Amino acid sequence: MAGFWRNVFTHQGEGWFDLPKTQWQEVNPTMEGPCGDGGTPIHRWWSWMSAAGMHHGTPIFYTIIGAILAVITIVEVWAFTIEELGSMLIPVMLILAIAKFVLVVAFFMHLRFDRKYYAWVFGACMVLGAAVFAIALALTTFHPGI
Amino acid sequence: MTTAELAQDIRTDHGEVINVSTGLSNKKLLMWTFLGSDVMFFGAFIATFLVYRNRSMVGPYPADILDIPITSVSTFVLLMSSLAMVLALSYVQQGRKSLGTFWIFAVVFLGAIFMGFQWFEFTTFAQEGLTPRTNLFGTTFFILTGLHGAHVTIGILWLIFLGYSHIKGALRADNAIDLEIAGLYWHFVDIVWIVIFTVIYLISARDSVPPGGVPWVH
Repeated sequence: MAGFWRNVFTHQGEGWFDLPKTQWQEVNPTMEGPCGDGGTPIHRWWSWMSAAGMHHGTPIFYTIIGAILAVITIVEVWAFTIEELGSMLIPVMLILAIAKFVLVVAFFMHLRFDRKYYAWVFGACMVLGAAVFAIALALTTFHPGI
Repeated sequence: MTTAELAQDIRTDHGEVINVSTGLSNKKLLMWTFLGSDVMFFGAFIATFLVYRNRSMVGPYPADILDIPITSVSTFVLLMSSLAMVLALSYVQQGRKSLGTFWIFAVVFLGAIFMGFQWFEFTTFAQEGLTPRTNLFGTTFFILTGLHGAHVTIGILWLIFLGYSHIKGALRADNAIDLEIAGLYWHFVDIVWIVIFTVIYLISARDSVPPGGVPWVH
């Protein structure tokens, strides 16, 4: 799981991603696709969208990511109106928010295409922030007088 | 590694020449480090909001006052500003000046609309009776969203400066790293809002009178 997460999020320019692949770092890139066996129209499409010989994705690629973000936001608001969700509302909202967070960080902030060191710096602060966050909540839950 | 090798110029994939042995852009590393610190900054205020959630003894409570449809629109606007930002960077890196300028100012425009929504929300809440001094919800809400708004405002001013620089030819494809740094900041502001929108508006929006609290009468 950690390896998958790392491969989706980061790229050091020293090799391929596992899922999906980009090819701009190669001198003479082949048309490899998500499964590494390139050549099909879908693989060529993905290669063109995510790399296309440029340093990052193409404008169309980013527009698709933006559309996905918009759809997730609509789903969030729709889910909010479903009374039957009850206590499931919080996990559903958190999953959708994490999905948006990952899309923005990985693609719009280019962490998916950039050097891993930046991801480690940001990730370490995220972990530290989350730890402080969890400790604060735990303390106030178990010691309400604080 | 020899001194000569350490001192050699390393050309990154963005055309920027940097003189460090790590091969990392100092500017970008600085911005990522700053964003890491900002994670903890906002994390503290979000944690504070959650700690004091459902502890207000007087209204208005979130269920009385939060307007999800309006905030959903402003969230959509901010998300689209992030899309505009990444398009602006893409076109500036390609050296397509008019498209780059258009998208930079599109970000400014969308950011200004978002701030307009926040201004509307703050004034409406104040008229309804919710201020930072009203109750714990008001205090934590206004501090968290207000600080986020301050970040957006700084981003707007920064992008106006960069847009002007692009028009004047000072911001070009070969130094587009400056726009990329501003873009990182802008996207970060966006992801912070993703969390705020989820935590305050969607998860807490149904919070009403807690045990022992006084029901709010409009």
